[in-house]
Amino acid sequence: MATAIRGIELSKSFQHFQVLQSVSIEIASGECYALFGPNGAGKTTLLRIFATLHRPSAGRFEIMGFDGNRERAKIRAAIFLIGHGSYLYDDLSVKENIQFAIGIRGWNPTDLEIKKALDQVGIGRFSKLRSRYLSAGMKKRLSIAKALLVRPKVLIMDEAYAALDELGVAMVNEFIRNFTKEGGTVLMSSHDRAKTAEVAHRVGVLNRSVLNEMSVEEMSAADAIF
Amino acid sequence: MQFFSVIRWIAWKDLLSEYRNRENISSMFFFAINVILIFSFSFSLDPETIKEIMPGIIWVAFGFTAIIGLGKSFLVEVNNDCMEYFQMLPIPKGAIYLGKFLGNFLFMLSVEIVLFPLFVLFFNLDILDQFLKLLLISTVATIGLSALGTLFSALTVQIRAREVMFPILLLPLSVPIFIGAVEATRGILSGDAFALYRHWIELLVVFDVIFVVVSFWIFEFILDY
Amino acid sequence: MLSTRFIGWLRRYEKWFGIAAVILMVIGLYTGLVTSSADYYQGEVVRIMYVHVPFAQTAMFAYSTLFFCSIWYLWKRDPIVDNAAHAAAGIALFFTAGGLLTGSIWGKPTWNTWWTWDPRLTSFAILFLTLVGYLMLRTFLDDKEKRATFGAILAIIGFIDLPIVHFSVEWWRSLHQPLSVSTRGVSIAADMALPLSLMSIGFTLLFTYMLMVRTQMLYLEYLLEAKQGRLMSEERL
Repeated sequence: MATAIRGIELSKSFQHFQVLQSVSIEIASGECYALFGPNGAGKTTLLRIFATLHRPSAGRFEIMGFDGNRERAKIRAAIFLIGHGSYLYDDLSVKENIQFAIGIRGWNPTDLEIKKALDQVGIGRFSKLRSRYLSAGMKKRLSIAKALLVRPKVLIMDEAYAALDELGVAMVNEFIRNFTKEGGTVLMSSHDRAKTAEVAHRVGVLNRSVLNEMSVEEMSAADAIF
Repeated sequence: MQFFSVIRWIAWKDLLSEYRNRENISSMFFFAINVILIFSFSFSLDPETIKEIMPGIIWVAFGFTAIIGLGKSFLVEVNNDCMEYFQMLPIPKGAIYLGKFLGNFLFMLSVEIVLFPLFVLFFNLDILDQFLKLLLISTVATIGLSALGTLFSALTVQIRAREVMFPILLLPLSVPIFIGAVEATRGILSGDAFALYRHWIELLVVFDVIFVVVSFWIFEFILDY
Repeated sequence: MLSTRFIGWLRRYEKWFGIAAVILMVIGLYTGLVTSSADYYQGEVVRIMYVHVPFAQTAMFAYSTLFFCSIWYLWKRDPIVDNAAHAAAGIALFFTAGGLLTGSIWGKPTWNTWWTWDPRLTSFAILFLTLVGYLMLRTFLDDKEKRATFGAILAIIGFIDLPIVHFSVEWWRSLHQPLSVSTRGVSIAADMALPLSLMSIGFTLLFTYMLMVRTQMLYLEYLLEAKQGRLMSEERL
């Protein structure tokens, strides 16, 4: 199977404080790769490097075969990040926020498509509400609705289940299953082993800049993974 | 064309938000009114003095308006990390700058248009028949101010001393705008022939072109440093 | 990265620039203040020219250095180039202040005023404010790369702005200033040209020397930070 994400000896320091040191990772197309690790291990930093938000201090990476330093525009067209930021404008409604976020990427979804996506993530009722009034969980659902409409080749999810209720977690897992079934690649970080085990194909534990890969069964069976 | 659609989306978003909360325009407007008020108390109001100092008063008021309005322009983009979203977009980043610039320009210009009647009211000026010429000057000067202001707003929005740094960067570099705008306004108010102050408008246009183009080109580095 | 070789080169040659600068400036000052003749119109006052003009020239040269380093940084993202830009800005501020101060002192006896909105004086005042803004902006930004990039952007915008400022003030002044205040330059006599050019070259060398020393200082600070960062990371890993 083709490689979707390849990181080769990636290092990153902030103000010379080394967060990642020579981390290599390879994820195939159609795979869901889950990243675990203690707080401050550098999971977010690694995801943000792949999302082209940080430049690695050393090492290189490829996404869908595009070079991480030279072909950033092509990578950006292929990826979508669901991260800590909600990327919302407080005074626009849920629907207008979606129209803006997708429209600026050069595609204007119809009202029906937007409604379908919002219903699928369970916030269809709130489409006219200004996003100022959304709770953290609803903002997360809204981000997933955006991902549904963008249909990226690679989806990067930082803390995939954060702020979501039980139904939301089930919805996310359903979404990931369908997404990978259709050939999409998911790279996610998580702290919930049981929920992650339902969808992940492979697991990596990032601790002290060492990436320890294991199968989902191993992860579920272990007492502690770090 | 995706390029123009990006500009349109950004401007649409800013205008719609502004229409809903009216934060920017109202703060700019009422601040300017206060400036005008103070000025009308500070100077004697005989017609000769007014003619002499009026251009300065108008452009000092507009300058303060720019500081109030443009400085906060990028605040809404950092509040929910929208700058990050822009960084990850597969689009030319200069288009984002132009969209923000367009929104800022429209805010500034609409405030200025509303303020002109107030100058007439407070200072007993007779400028209504010159309105179109004043509008032309305001437009070319405001393009330059918004071009620099939008860029500097993006530079200063994430630092602690934003309110101080923004005018410190903007005002010295917009000296040519103020000189040109004040001189052209003076020409209009004293009823000079257009040819006598046309070169100021040309200077402003040159300034506008240079800084819109340079800022457009350099904005890429602000998002992808 | 060009850093290590470049720093070694700076360390090896900096003293020659410093020595040359001192020699040229001593000779320049002696010939300028003692042996050269006084100006026909201005008398002995003209001698401040031998400091003022080099100050102003060097300030321009320093800002040009800042401009080119800024472009180079945006292009190559080499941290030492940013150190050089940062160094050049501080030194440019020094020479600009010197130029403004000596200009003002010269203006009092010749133009009978400490300050006038002469195009050159005004552009220098704007240059001064821009440099202060540049250095302030840098201190307020925490992230190293952002500091370098945003500073470079400001430096480039300011550099493009200065000629327009000069030009607009010139037009403006032709409208407002009474002509009695003349900004006529000094006609240079032959025995004035020698000290003036000696001082100009001396000041340029002085600037180069200061730039070399300051760049090294900033680069060492950068290395120190890197060392601290590594020690902290080792504790963590």
